[in-house]
Amino acid sequence: MLRPWRAAIAAAAGILISAGAARAATTDIDLYFPVPVQGKLVIEIRQLIGEFNKAHPDIHVTAVYTGSYDNTNLKTRAAIKAGSPPGAVIMSANFVRSYEINHEAISLDPLIEKDGMTPKSFMAEFWPALADNAVIDGQVYGVPFQNSTPLLYYSVDAFKQAGLDPDHPPVTWQDFVTDAKKLTVVKDGTVTRYGFEMPGTYDYLGWIVSGLAMSDGGQYFNHGYGGEVYYDQPSTLGAVMLLDEMVNKLHVMPPGVTDANAAATAFFTGHTAMMVLSTGALTFVRDNMKAPFKVAFMPYNIQPAAPIGGGSLIIPEGNSPDRVAAAWTLIKWLVSPEIAGRWSRFTGYFAPRIAAYDLPAMKAYLAKYPDANVALEQLKYAVPWFDTFETVAVREAMENQVQAVLSGRTTPEAAVKAAQATAETLMKPYVDKTALDIPQ
Amino acid sequence: MSRKRGREVRLLVMLALAAAALFWAIPFAWMLVASLRPESASAADIASLIPSGTIGFGNFAEAWSEGTFPLWYFNTFLMCGGILAVQCVTVSAAGYAFARLSFPGRTVLFYLFLLQLMLVPPILIVPNLTTIVSLGLYDRLPGVMAPYLASAFGTFLMRQTFRSIPRDYEDAAMLDGASLPQVIWHVLLPLARPGLAAFAIVSVSYHWNEFLWPLIALSSPENQVLTVGLASFTSGAESATEWGVIAAGTLLVAAPLILIFVIFQRRIVSSFVFTGIK
Repeated sequence: MLRPWRAAIAAAAGILISAGAARAATTDIDLYFPVPVQGKLVIEIRQLIGEFNKAHPDIHVTAVYTGSYDNTNLKTRAAIKAGSPPGAVIMSANFVRSYEINHEAISLDPLIEKDGMTPKSFMAEFWPALADNAVIDGQVYGVPFQNSTPLLYYSVDAFKQAGLDPDHPPVTWQDFVTDAKKLTVVKDGTVTRYGFEMPGTYDYLGWIVSGLAMSDGGQYFNHGYGGEVYYDQPSTLGAVMLLDEMVNKLHVMPPGVTDANAAATAFFTGHTAMMVLSTGALTFVRDNMKAPFKVAFMPYNIQPAAPIGGGSLIIPEGNSPDRVAAAWTLIKWLVSPEIAGRWSRFTGYFAPRIAAYDLPAMKAYLAKYPDANVALEQLKYAVPWFDTFETVAVREAMENQVQAVLSGRTTPEAAVKAAQATAETLMKPYVDKTALDIPQ
Repeated sequence: MSRKRGREVRLLVMLALAAAALFWAIPFAWMLVASLRPESASAADIASLIPSGTIGFGNFAEAWSEGTFPLWYFNTFLMCGGILAVQCVTVSAAGYAFARLSFPGRTVLFYLFLLQLMLVPPILIVPNLTTIVSLGLYDRLPGVMAPYLASAFGTFLMRQTFRSIPRDYEDAAMLDGASLPQVIWHVLLPLARPGLAAFAIVSVSYHWNEFLWPLIALSSPENQVLTVGLASFTSGAESATEWGVIAAGTLLVAAPLILIFVIFQRRIVSSFVFTGIK
């Protein structure tokens, strides 16, 4: 009587084992990737993945282009909810925290420990400033892949015409304002060259304002906890006042909201003498700026500071163990010094892996393009990127207000108060569930 | 005297219309000029409508080499064509039911159908995705098409179209011994052709241009459609962009639709006039 049952079970087990073996032979995973800088990145990343697949016959990775960072976020969330998550994603580094909060990404600590490393020794391989956006609540959730900081670009010719020394860019806010005034050219009542321009669009604006607030001695947000921002504080108020002063009182910066393309175009045509853009734009500016230009650190008031930006690799929740193992192999390969360095030279991002800079190819690159060094040196002053509960909405609460200041529709004092109030309302559900959830 | 004044008025109207047409043509003109401008002309000239530098097709070559356009065209044709083919059947059938058949709850059901028009499509992304994953259609073209196979707008349009056709035609056909399918196929559908044509234009141009849903529902490069492919070299968030290549790529994507419009312009306009859509 039992026999047929046993046979059936044995057969079923056999099928399961052989299916398992077949899957172990090649594990198929997707890598979602956004393209945040211009160039033939899609082709380059497909080539990289092709090399990876060749070197790892047991894994087959498909590189899936997923649009901007925001669209990548959207597609990843939808795929997780629908039960078919990708193996790995290059995610905007400041979204990693919300993936941890929503239990949508896995902790990488067990994988790191299986490799005989500790989370601490693993993160020590990367530039220290990157840790805050990668290690959430004490565990590693993101592996930095491509990173940037804001950089001050300035025109050598404009500096010479204004009687300034191009080898001495502004260091403090005082220098910055003094130079911007000298660099501004007014003809017949209209400005023909502004001293300074910067992008005022979403994402970019919040990034730069956070950098200014931190250069004004502040923290801007609680780096260790996703429920607090410091918008209504002297350090942030000072940063907004600086922009207000430059736009509405001194008229050395154009009013209204400028986008990154417009700022770059104004720089190329000599309509602005200085601008702030990402280090990731360095290759683009180098290719398009015909007159000589140089780059410098972000000017500061109290202490030098530059916020980190860029993308980290995460493994979404809901993958089978062998898919997780395959994704981890891919991640380790992508951030190896050689590949990280190659990606950095191709994109203009700096390589998050410290050892990438010890390789001869990287040394030759830095010797050829010394301006890439400035981006690297600024890392000493790098501070974490804005990430909170509901990162995007909380960031936009501030950006909407700063845009109103840039357009002369509100005062800095009213702006930071309004931004703080909106941000607190947005974060309240999280705060109630965490910091204010005390035992009774 | 009055005839002369009439001519003057007509001339003025013509001038105003020409000015409006010119205004609408600016983005297309800009796209054409920007796509033909050589890369060496620097990003500075980009806002200009006047060509600068030697005109060339370098940007088109670059855009073409950066993407797999033949595949994207094929997939997009398949997607739009597939959706339209099924929609024609479903919306005519549903439109006929609402226009001619009487059954209990017809009005309520029809309003429920119309309610769908009020929903913003992105709300349905996750539920739709869950459905196509469980149907095993994730990352496949039928999966992208699935949510659109029925159309509330199309049903509404066909209902109105059928209602505008006098019943006498059907009665005459019935008297001659035609069955209901024969009546629909030989009498009603030919008369409703302008309505179907108008719906086809709206449907194809909507699905041709759609970005978000294909981005979410498709992953493999071999299943990609034009809009998602185009975006791969247009969204440079942290640095400025190569406008020439983008303009060339956009022209490549829009070209088939523009061509169809130019060729069938007269028929398209008359369909819209017939159905009252603008």
